[in-house]
Amino acid sequence: MASRPTVSVQSTAGEASTSLPLPAVLTAPIRLDVVQQVHKSIAKNKRQAYAVNVKAGHQTSAESWGTGRAVARIPRVGGGGTHRSGQAAFGNMCRGGRMFAPTKTWRKWHVKVNQNQRRFAVVSALAASALPSLVLARGHRIEQINEVPLVVDSAIESYTKTKEAVALLKSLNAYPDVVKVSNSRKLRAGKGKLRNRRHRQRRGPLVVYNEDNGIVKAFRNIPGVELVSVKRLNLLQLAPGGHLGRFVIWTQGAFAALDEIFGTFDTPSLVKKDYILPTAKITNPDVTRLINSDEIQSVVRPANSKHQKRPWTQHKNPLRNKSVLFRLNPYAKVLRKQELGVYFNLLFVAL
Amino acid sequence: MSSDLVWLLTRKSNAFIVKKVPEGPIFSREHGNLLNLHSQKYSGIANEKACRIPASKMETANLYSQAIHIGQGPSSIQVVSRKTGSSLHAVRKAFVSSSIRSRSGPRRAAGVVAGFAKRGYRPDLRQAALARTSALILAQKEKKPAPPKKIRGKKAVEIKAALA
Repeated sequence: MASRPTVSVQSTAGEASTSLPLPAVLTAPIRLDVVQQVHKSIAKNKRQAYAVNVKAGHQTSAESWGTGRAVARIPRVGGGGTHRSGQAAFGNMCRGGRMFAPTKTWRKWHVKVNQNQRRFAVVSALAASALPSLVLARGHRIEQINEVPLVVDSAIESYTKTKEAVALLKSLNAYPDVVKVSNSRKLRAGKGKLRNRRHRQRRGPLVVYNEDNGIVKAFRNIPGVELVSVKRLNLLQLAPGGHLGRFVIWTQGAFAALDEIFGTFDTPSLVKKDYILPTAKITNPDVTRLINSDEIQSVVRPANSKHQKRPWTQHKNPLRNKSVLFRLNPYAKVLRKQELGVYFNLLFVAL
Repeated sequence: MSSDLVWLLTRKSNAFIVKKVPEGPIFSREHGNLLNLHSQKYSGIANEKACRIPASKMETANLYSQAIHIGQGPSSIQVVSRKTGSSLHAVRKAFVSSSIRSRSGPRRAAGVVAGFAKRGYRPDLRQAALARTSALILAQKEKKPAPPKKIRGKKAVEIKAALA
């Protein structure tokens, strides 16, 4: 293996100062299918139970009239003196009836996901967040930042003022992503407006810290910015909506802790018991490089000559097509001439 | 990182896809896509060696400012390419641009763009790059003012009579 690539640490002024080796997590295999599947399940774990009233549609003493009255045998409301009497009740097809299969609060709201799968998804999402093209493809405005992953000096962990935080984002050229979030703030469609989800907006950078010495309070009021401790990394924040490539800003301390927290490809994690990173199925996913490799080029058949069959050729019927007939049977030409001669002679005779 | 893998990861959903025409072509808004077409060949995200020809100087400034020198003159064509050997993780500093002076004339721009292919940066994009360049040149051209309308018919006769 070649020497491990390094990532430069930006000072608070936005210049590269020192550098750190790239943690092994950030080179883990990126499995979109795993991330989507796990995200779909984990996202269900924050749901609140809802159901219709158990009594809905059943608060009547309706009885079926039975056969012989020339009406359907559905239960009907008894009595008289009101419009309701004689109307069908209970059934899901009835006006005022209960719904089909009434929802219950004891539905299975939570979905269990295996721990190893959850970890795989987080690791995948982290690896994707270290590739500029995937972060761009998620829609983050990172064109002007120096490097992805973006690692900043640990001094920002003791920031306490939002003013400082904004100045930092500006000096890192990460502020366009915050501006994007501000501009995207729109009123939510539907009832969510009344349920404390009044606005919708994009997600901005995710700031990952090692130790909170005020950083959370400094950053949390900036639109779209989310904060998380490196020990509490969460798939819902690393791949919102199941889409890979969240823009992550690391503090130096958090970045340095990654190898301990997730382990590497051969040393287990210090935090997660017996956990080592998943290895990729193939070491080189570059198809062009594989095709052009000596190993493959030395065993493939040599390319065919460039002769191309003429397209749209079709089999021609020699019984109909004269030129094909004469090519196959040159004597046919003589015969044909003679026949025609006879024909013309006959014609002249007739005239 | 393999560009094949990046393409597979971004093929189905990314922030730049435009699927406005039902059953029609899928377009892409990404930078560095010469035809704005969502395909592996023209993708500016998946291909490390994408040939970027920004539509305007504004776009160049917004995307690659500070990192690159932006040409003089009111309008000119920039060709932005990735530096060879630049780090996989570098974003801003990975790009280098050459801009074509507007005074040099349209054919020079075409020549510079075609030079990309000759140097073997992305020979397969030669035609698309040239097409985009010439479209940009055409758009940047100042329109000639329309000649004044000739007055014909009865009005012309009247004016002639008035002058005489």
